[in-house]
Amino acid sequence: MQIIHLAADAVTQVSQVTGNLGVLGYGLAAIGPGIGVGLVVSKTIESIARQPELAARLQVTMWLGIAFTEALALIGLATPFIFAA
Amino acid sequence: MFDSLGTVISRVLRLGAVLVAAIGLVGSLVGYLLTGLPGVYAALIGSGAAFLFTALTALSVLIGSKLNLAGFLGAVLGGWLIKMVLFLIGFSFLNKSDWLTHDSRPIVFFTVVSAVIGGLVIDTLIVSKARLTATLDKP
Repeated sequence: MQIIHLAADAVTQVSQVTGNLGVLGYGLAAIGPGIGVGLVVSKTIESIARQPELAARLQVTMWLGIAFTEALALIGLATPFIFAA
Repeated sequence: MFDSLGTVISRVLRLGAVLVAAIGLVGSLVGYLLTGLPGVYAALIGSGAAFLFTALTALSVLIGSKLNLAGFLGAVLGGWLIKMVLFLIGFSFLNKSDWLTHDSRPIVFFTVVSAVIGGLVIDTLIVSKARLTATLDKP
C-alpha cells in the first residue's frame, strides 16, 4: 500500500513541473550520443595502445563511428522544429 | 597507390558538398511550393547546418591526426563539444525567430535529417573504398 501512495505522490509532483519540456528532451537526446561517442573513443584508445602502428586506420574508423553517433545528436537538436507546439 | 587521411577527408567533403547542394536545391523547391519564401530559407539553413556539422568533425579528425594521441582526442572531442553548444544556441535562436514561419519549420528538420543520412552513406562508401595504409601517415 505504501508503494502505491509513493507512486501517487510522484505522479502529483511530476504533474506540477512547469517550464519548457524541450529542455528535458534535449537532455534525453544527449545521453545516447554521449555514451556512444565515449565507447567509440575508449575502444579506439584501447586499440591504439595494443597496436600503435594501426593508429592511422583506427583514426579513420573512429571518425566513421563518431559520424554515425553524432547524426543522432544532430537529429535530436533539430526535433524542436517539428515537435514544437 | 595508397590514400592518405587528407585525401579521404577531402573526398568526403567534396562529395558531401555536392549532396548538400542537391538537397538544398530540392528542399528549396519543395519549400517554396509548400510555404513560399520562408520554405526556401528553411531548406537552405537545414542543409547548410547539417553540412557544417558533419564537415567540422571531418576537419577536426584531419587536424587532430597531425598531433599526438592526446592532441587528436582533444581536437576531435573538444571540437565536438564546442560545436554541439554552438548548434544548440544557433538552433534555439532560429526556433524563436519570426521570419521562419510555423509552416516552414518542418522543412528545416527534414533537410537536416536527409543531409545527415546522405552524408553518412557517402562517408561509409568512401571509407570502405579507400586504400588506407596499415601504418602511420607520419614520416
